Amino acid sequence: MRVTLAEDSILLREGLVRLLAEEGHEVVAAVGDGDALLVSVAADPPDVAVVDVRMPPTHTDEGLRAALEIRRRWPGVAVLVLSQYVEKRYATELITADEGGVGYLLKDRVGQVDEFLDALERVGSGGAAFDPEVVRQLLARSSRADPLGRLTPRERDVLGHMAQGHTNASIAAHLHVSQSAVEKHVNAIFDKLGLMGAAGFSRRVLAVLRYLDS
Amino acid sequence: MHGRVTGLMGTALRGLAGLALGAAGAMVEVVFLVLAALGCAYAFVFSRGRDTVPRVVAGGALRLAEAERRRLDALLGGSGDVGGYGPLRALAYLVLRLPVAFLGGVLILLLVYGAGAAVTLFGGWMMGRAPDGIEPTPWLIAYVVGAGLVLLYLDLQGLVGVAALERRLVRRCLGPSPLQAYERRIAQLSESRAEVVDAVNDERRRIERDLHDGVQQRLVGLAMLIGRARRSGDPERSAELMRQAHEESQRALEDLREVAWRVYPAALDSDGLRAALETVAERSVVPVTIAYGPDRRLPSPVETVAYFVVCEAVTNAAKHSGAGRVNVRILERGTMLVVRIEDDGAGGADPAGGGLAGLARRVAALDGRLRVHSPTGGPTVVSAELPCG
Repeated sequence: MRVTLAEDSILLREGLVRLLAEEGHEVVAAVGDGDALLVSVAADPPDVAVVDVRMPPTHTDEGLRAALEIRRRWPGVAVLVLSQYVEKRYATELITADEGGVGYLLKDRVGQVDEFLDALERVGSGGAAFDPEVVRQLLARSSRADPLGRLTPRERDVLGHMAQGHTNASIAAHLHVSQSAVEKHVNAIFDKLGLMGAAGFSRRVLAVLRYLDS
Repeated sequence: MHGRVTGLMGTALRGLAGLALGAAGAMVEVVFLVLAALGCAYAFVFSRGRDTVPRVVAGGALRLAEAERRRLDALLGGSGDVGGYGPLRALAYLVLRLPVAFLGGVLILLLVYGAGAAVTLFGGWMMGRAPDGIEPTPWLIAYVVGAGLVLLYLDLQGLVGVAALERRLVRRCLGPSPLQAYERRIAQLSESRAEVVDAVNDERRRIERDLHDGVQQRLVGLAMLIGRARRSGDPERSAELMRQAHEESQRALEDLREVAWRVYPAALDSDGLRAALETVAERSVVPVTIAYGPDRRLPSPVETVAYFVVCEAVTNAAKHSGAGRVNVRILERGTMLVVRIEDDGAGGADPAGGGLAGLARRVAALDGRLRVHSPTGGPTVVSAELPCG
């Protein structure tokens, strides 16, 4: 894949460039702030932009603003955001935006090279990837929720993976079960959350929403 | 020695001028007070100008009192902490200072008269005359000189006393009342307390940034190296990546030590300010010389603030000013600890900048004072005075 990197720490930027090169990705550009990122995406749109949230000049949310800008102006460019913390507001916004090509990982996840590369692949191919920790925190907020109490631990697991943006096939691989078993769980979840008759909406997203809002 | 004498002469001459001006001012004030009394009585009896007259009187009183205060500041060694008085206190002051000012005037006239008499008498003797029929016999000369010197001494003592009276009067009449002084102190304490909380929060933010931008990035980088080593199929390549990872882990540890040191240097508690400052000098990229006066351990809060003042000033000199040397001086002056950092850099340091402003707050919290003198072109001098009685 063709990747543009925006990360202000030179050390990490270099590391990421090498890692991606070793994995056979092409790094189109590696920049250190939000403005340079937008300029570089405009000049040569990549498949995925990997964006650090905190960058100069203010070290607050430049990266995130640049990421949202990219999604708005170049819908074909996928965005994988790296955040220092779980910023619930943004995470929820990204998770519930019913579209692919978006990912939200904690920065530390980059150290888990396999997971990072896996997330990059998923986002780059139009899927979604959310950090398990982000999902855990968002779910923790809604664990008192009533409908969730009716899910079996296995179904909760499946829903958790769903919220991370996994497809049924990759949930099956992760949980070491067959894909049809996953489909059964998913249907049971839709049933228990009362989403069976919700035609015209993505039931997967509604399930996750039900999680977060209940 | 010579300098001290001229200094004393200057003080004496300024004092004389001040008292003379005070006496002259008293003439003006007498006229003003009489006119003010007449005006007020007129306004009261004839019910005309009841608003205007008091306003004019109040304005005049304030202006006159302010002029006297400035005279004291300029010529008689300062009026101290004076300000925020109203027209009534100004009027009271003008009335009360009349006898003192006239006394000063009389003493100055006596001085002039005495000087005139001495010149006449000795001048006459020089010319070979006998002024007032006084013959210059040795006994008489001795008597006149002795008596003259005694009178001169008494007169000068009187003048010194009047000057002191003037200062006390202005403080008493125009200075803050005890209640006002308390209110001011409370306001100052509230402000400095709020500022200390701000300063602490600023520091915490800085620590958070230090941890994230330094240590955390290194650790993520380290994890990436190890991850790459594990994914690499080529044993030689893996070995090379592991070697790099090992180096990276050393650097992460160094970063962590740096951050911990910046948060609070442990040496400050165990070995004291002097040792901690020596470490600052060792770690600085710019050469730092330290002249350390105090030969005892100072109270811990004072040591801590002094340490951070030096630390920040040295860091600024190294980072922004392009200095080639930094001189640090720590000395006790009476009950104050004076911390002075001078660098030969380009100057232009901004006292309102983050680090320096935070320092000023920390120093203010101990009732100290921080001064930053940094003209463009240098040199920059940061000095703090901290009470450490």
